Amino acid sequence: MANDPIHQFQIHDLAGPFHVGGYEISFTNSALFMGVIVATITGILTLASSKRALVPGRLQSVGEMWYGMIDNMVKNVLGEEGKAFFPLVFSLFSFVLVANMLGMFPYFFTVTSHVIVTISLALFVIGLVVAVGLYKHGLGWFKLFVPSGVPLAILPFISLIEIISFLSRPISLGLRLFGNMLAGHIVLKVFAGFVVSLGALGGLGFLGALAPMLMAVALTALEFLVAFLQAFVFAILTCVYLNDALHTHH
Amino acid sequence: MTEPRNPKAPKNPPQPEFGDLPDRLKDLGSRIAAEKSEQVQASKPAPSYQGASDYSKGYRLASEFVAGVLVGGLIGYGVDYVAGTLPLFLIVFLLLGFGAGILNMSRAANRTPPTAEELSKMPKPSALDDEED
Repeated sequence: MANDPIHQFQIHDLAGPFHVGGYEISFTNSALFMGVIVATITGILTLASSKRALVPGRLQSVGEMWYGMIDNMVKNVLGEEGKAFFPLVFSLFSFVLVANMLGMFPYFFTVTSHVIVTISLALFVIGLVVAVGLYKHGLGWFKLFVPSGVPLAILPFISLIEIISFLSRPISLGLRLFGNMLAGHIVLKVFAGFVVSLGALGGLGFLGALAPMLMAVALTALEFLVAFLQAFVFAILTCVYLNDALHTHH
Repeated sequence: MTEPRNPKAPKNPPQPEFGDLPDRLKDLGSRIAAEKSEQVQASKPAPSYQGASDYSKGYRLASEFVAGVLVGGLIGYGVDYVAGTLPLFLIVFLLLGFGAGILNMSRAANRTPPTAEELSKMPKPSALDDEED
């Protein structure tokens, strides 16, 4: 068990199997950590904004940078009228970021390492993009799939490709986050496993264990970078896709 | 954004009945507006969100392509599953998905893809850079 790199991703019930209408809705470790994530975000941001000092302290600075970064991003990509989407983008970014960061703690469960979670988030974003596009442009929004200036002979193929391209957005959005987190955690665990099994040999094994030990330390730093970056990428792509829906150019 | 701020100090001494208060308020308003436009200007030409890291960029391009092929293959398999013509549409849509993946990648690299007319008008590839946002 100690060396099984997949074991950390297993889902198990914490509170006995509940069933509603043929579906299982048990309280799993994944659900527990989603609750922890939300509690962490709420706790940090409440503490950060509780003092409201004119000259921010450390925690308040973190809160202000957190807010300011997403605010800037939404303004840069979506423009002023995108202000309405700030709460959504901020929530998405915070959830993914804290999920990734909590996953870096030993023995903690990484919610975003499950494809169902990331794809659900991505499908929600794309569903919103479609809804906003239809709301803003009506049925004319579907002109998105019919680029202008294309010869009639190849238009059906181009439209099909455009449709596939659009449908692949949630897949790429969800898979990227999932893949990064899963791969990172497995690699980290494998290298850490090398350290343990080499070190158990004693003597020369201790020397041999040094190399994977250094790798594990370096990978941990890289994983923190990836954890932040993937949350950032998720948020920025949400903005980019929403921008497509808001300002469709034919 | 390097111009010195224009304080427009009031020449006349403040009257006891606050006669210049409207002036000072207007002055403050214009100074705040100037400051704000400076901030917007300063933040505009820095697309720092884009080049956050080459690592993520590479990952993004790869996943865009894979997603295109994957979705194409899935649609093709779905059509075949319904119509019972197994290899036919799988092959067709895999190829289309390949095209969609390339399209995705070029879009991810360019942010705003040029339309067909823009492409025909475009003098040289470097003009792409001006299309950003």
